Parts: sequence; C-alpha cells; structure tokens
Amino acid sequence: MAQIDSHAIGLTRRRWLGLVATAVGTFVRAMPVQSQSLPQRCAPPIPQNREPSNGGSCPYPIPWLDKNGNHNQPAGPNVELSNIYHFKGKLARCSGFHGIGEDNQGNREAWGTPTTDYSYMAGEYWAARQAHQGVFAHT
Amino acid sequence: MGGLTFSSDGKTATLQMTNVPIIDQPRWPAMDAETTPAFLDFKLVFTSTDESVKYEDPMRQYRFEGFKAIAKLEASVRVPSINFAFKTDPLETSKCDFAVMGEEVNGKYYEPGKN
Repeated sequence: MAQIDSHAIGLTRRRWLGLVATAVGTFVRAMPVQSQSLPQRCAPPIPQNREPSNGGSCPYPIPWLDKNGNHNQPAGPNVELSNIYHFKGKLARCSGFHGIGEDNQGNREAWGTPTTDYSYMAGEYWAARQAHQGVFAHT
Repeated sequence: MGGLTFSSDGKTATLQMTNVPIIDQPRWPAMDAETTPAFLDFKLVFTSTDESVKYEDPMRQYRFEGFKAIAKLEASVRVPSINFAFKTDPLETSKCDFAVMGEEVNGKYYEPGKN
C-alpha cells in the first residue's frame, strides 16, 4: 500500500481540495479512492546543514494563468484544462452548471453561472524535483 | 470526507465530498469583500460519451485526450453564522454546458507529436 501525497493550495474564491488517498501503487480505473480533505504544508523548507534547496512540494500552477488558479479561464474547448503544470494523469472538467434549488426558507432560486465549474485530477505531478501522486478536486 | 470513484468500464467518475470548508463572499472580487465561513456537500458525476476530443498546444506544452462528457451536480451549502442553507434539486435535474473527461500531460511530461 502506498500513501498518495496531497496538498491543498490556498485559493480565494475557488478552491483546490487536496485529497489524501490510500491506494495500491498507481491508479486503477475501477478502484475507489477513499479520501479526505487534509491540507499539508508544502512551502519550500529552509535547508539545514548546507543541504540543497529543491523548492516546495506544492503543485506548480499553470504559468500563464492567474496565480490563484484558473479564475480567468473557464473550462472550454482548446484551453489548458489542468490546474497543475508538470502533471500527467486523469482529468475531468466541466463548466456552466445551472439548475434550481431551494433555501432553508423555502424560496426556490436558480443557481449556477458560466463559471460554475468543477474538476478532478488524479495522477502524478512534479515538484521539489520529484514525482508526487495526488488526487485533487476543484470547486 | 469524500472520494473519487470510477466505474469498472472507466466511463463514469463520481466525486463526492461532504463538509468541505469554503467561504461565502458575495461581493467578490471587490478588494474589501468580506468572507463568511461556510460548508459544502456535493456529488458530481461525469459520464463519458463516444465523442473524442483532443486539445493540444505545443507552445504551452499541454495535451488533453479524452471524450466529451455529461456532468451532473447536486450540492448543498450551509452558512451557519447567518443561518442560511441552500440545496439544489436532485442530481439529474442539473445541466452543464461543457464537460470532458480523459487524460492530460503537460509541462515536463509533455512530448510534442506523441499520441
């Protein structure tokens, strides 16, 4: 059994959720990934005893997008759908959710906007000069 | 708590999470927009169609290969400090304008010209 590294990236309006998962080796299509939200420190550590500095283990953001996430690029055809640079793995993304719901006062209201988007990413990313396994959700 | 599960044929993925800590920030993106702690439960289901897609940009070093998908969402949100809660109608009633699922490579993992 291998524990899959995870990290939560502090974002403002939208949010990445690091999902800690325990799974066998690599991802298998039919395998459920049990997970929980568990932010971890991934800032670059201060090297001790003249050790090399290889950066932090936080996933690297897409360089040409808002550093806080894909705020300015809703999911769509022919755009970078990943929120992590140096990534390979499964990805699904959707945007433009809308529907109807009800509040606790019984009021029926519409929800959703063109930027109401969600995603999951599950695979390998490169940070701190080594590969990490992770499962992430974007809400 | 939550999890990501795939059907045995890989065509359906379900992401479900409960008690996700979020913020309610109605005046975003105003610089002084106040925030209120809130909690989100959601269930998101992607179902792949047979229509394949490939998005690639060698200059930006990314390639996504997969299929168009149908995505359904149900969620509930609670803002305890103002005693507000909202729950969407059931999963199947939601609609989504764009959804895909597949495999992505980018950055150091990207090799141009590969399928």
